[in-house]
Amino acid sequence: QDGGGLREAMAGVARRLLRRGLGVAAGPPSTRQLREAEEAAPVFQYAGKAARRKDRVFVWGFSYSGALGVPSFVRPDAGWKKPRRIQPTPYHLETEEKISSAACGYGFTLLASNTRDITKVWGMGLNKDSQLGFQRSRRDQTKGYEYVLEPSPIPLPLEKPQQTRVLQVSCGRAHSLVLTDSEGVFTMGNNSYGQCGRKVVEDEIYSGSHLIHQLKEFDSRVVQVVCGQDHSLFRTKKGTVYACGWGADGQTGLGHYNITSVPTKLHGDIAGVNIIQVSSYGDCCLAVSDEGDVFGWGNSEYLQLASVTETTQVNVPRHLPFNIGKIKEAACGGTGNVVLTEEGNVFVWGYGILGKGPNLIETAVPEVIPPSLFGWSDFSPDIRVAHVRCGLGQFAALTSRGELFVWGKNLRGCLGTGRKEDQYFPWRVTVPGEVVDVACGVDHMVSMVRSFT
Amino acid sequence: LNAAPGRAPRQRVRFLPTPGGGGAVELVAARVPVLADHPLVRGPRFRKLKIGAGHRLDVKASGVFVLGIGHGNKLLTDLYNCHLTKVYTVGGLFGKATDDFSDTGNLVEKTTFDHITREKLERILAVIQGTNQKALLMYSNIDMKTQEAYELAVKGLIRPMGKSPPIITAVRCLQFALPEFQLEIHCLHETQQYLRRMVHEIGLELKSSAVCTQVRRIRDGVFTVDDALLRTQWNLQSIQEAIRNCQLKVETELEKTLG
Repeated sequence: QDGGGLREAMAGVARRLLRRGLGVAAGPPSTRQLREAEEAAPVFQYAGKAARRKDRVFVWGFSYSGALGVPSFVRPDAGWKKPRRIQPTPYHLETEEKISSAACGYGFTLLASNTRDITKVWGMGLNKDSQLGFQRSRRDQTKGYEYVLEPSPIPLPLEKPQQTRVLQVSCGRAHSLVLTDSEGVFTMGNNSYGQCGRKVVEDEIYSGSHLIHQLKEFDSRVVQVVCGQDHSLFRTKKGTVYACGWGADGQTGLGHYNITSVPTKLHGDIAGVNIIQVSSYGDCCLAVSDEGDVFGWGNSEYLQLASVTETTQVNVPRHLPFNIGKIKEAACGGTGNVVLTEEGNVFVWGYGILGKGPNLIETAVPEVIPPSLFGWSDFSPDIRVAHVRCGLGQFAALTSRGELFVWGKNLRGCLGTGRKEDQYFPWRVTVPGEVVDVACGVDHMVSMVRSFT
Repeated sequence: LNAAPGRAPRQRVRFLPTPGGGGAVELVAARVPVLADHPLVRGPRFRKLKIGAGHRLDVKASGVFVLGIGHGNKLLTDLYNCHLTKVYTVGGLFGKATDDFSDTGNLVEKTTFDHITREKLERILAVIQGTNQKALLMYSNIDMKTQEAYELAVKGLIRPMGKSPPIITAVRCLQFALPEFQLEIHCLHETQQYLRRMVHEIGLELKSSAVCTQVRRIRDGVFTVDDALLRTQWNLQSIQEAIRNCQLKVETELEKTLG
């Protein structure tokens, strides 16, 4: 009886302690305790009201020429890094300013921003013909760099450097063009065929040259500049096209096969036509008018202009009578051409890997690439292709959703798919962002991307 | 099942002797039921049933769950080899992150979510679809250099016909009302935990956090929610009717895919 009384007293003490909260009940936390702990937890904020989408530049392809702008790929700066000859997937390139226009040449790249700061254009890659201007070498102050591994500012001889804006850049085989809004076009690089728009000087040494030529004599303001392999095309606001440079394939479109060293107006089928877009990369040129017609001139060895003529060189612009709808945009590659119609359909013709499987190697008449290859389906019926671009052996298409599709010859990893094989039909490139624009070169590509959030 | 009228017993022709007078024994042919088929000899027809399950469904998930009875087990294996897509409705909640990605787990972090808009969510979903589209082509083990690969890609019929990691073929946002949202996901070779993890990763991508509140399978290959039986319909009649209704669908699908 005594023991029982003692036990009761102990139980009573324990109960009183529990009621006062001094003795904690063991066991799993009850739902109420969990809910209270959750409400008391701190809230973290990762994105504030002013969070904006960031603009980035991604590069991929052959890096040893320095065209990708990442010096550690060519000369590793840490012991564990190995030289990277090819960058197979998109790599984020850090830039100081927002890049609005980019162009890939044959082993070099130009990036331009439409800022009002003094430095507006950066260049990287091959500089053996001063296509990136004069880049003073730090080891020897009198000589210039032959390979520029990092995006380096290009000093342009502007009259009003703090007011003029750079609208667009374009690169050819060994020359480049920079278009400004009020000071005309600046050209630099190789001029052995007059492609820089100035008189050809015999035995001129282009390496380490300081010369940047300015072109102002056009009938109206120049709104687009395009570089072919060794020629240049200028499109003015009035819709006229000027050309200069090598003409042995008729790519200057001036009616002869000689060199032109002064930009001269083109006639032929585009006389009096308001041209809204010109394109060229190899030796063939295409122009699109405001009414949706496409005109071509230049090299036709790969059936690019075989729909109108059997000759392999066309030196006067000819209208290409395709019945595929109103054409919005055209792009010329080395051996193949691509156009985009108003409905969003992509048509290809020419020679090489055209994007319709390994069986279609050449065609003179444009063939459509089925929209289902660009992500169109019953589930997402409002996807359409917004832009098309061409490199020397590859094609790129941008959809309205910001996805990038590439196809063609995978020269030194220029497609960016991560695989070494050529791609015979459009393949999605995984880019961490919405692709706004892409520039294709011979063996590398540059894209301007906006982040998702 | 055992109470239902079974097969009629087999009949056999036997020559039975007639009870006659002394002398010659005459045999008369008579059709008699085989004694071995007598119900008292044979016993109950069904002593156990083989029931197999189709694609797995979590404890926390709900929706269509396919079962096969008897011969249906073989059809289940064939359906598995068809590698058809499954459709889920996944509900999510922004603002919380838990350790098992669902709203019943231990809280890891709370974040703000008022900067999230429907456009941002749809952009992320587009990227998920894009990367999974690539995975679809890569795991289908077709040589990309052939003309038939191009033709299948145009028709959208390229699909991995073997083992592969989970692939999402289509996603779209059905409802969006902060902090809740609902997605419809078409996928292959997935687990429900993978879908919950995807909701968590969508939250991270949008610079916030998300947990999954609901995973409901609304379609498994050819079987949809309309064919499914509710808890109150788990009786012999409904099951037999359901099997009869689905037979034709299953047959056509198997023939189309496996030939």
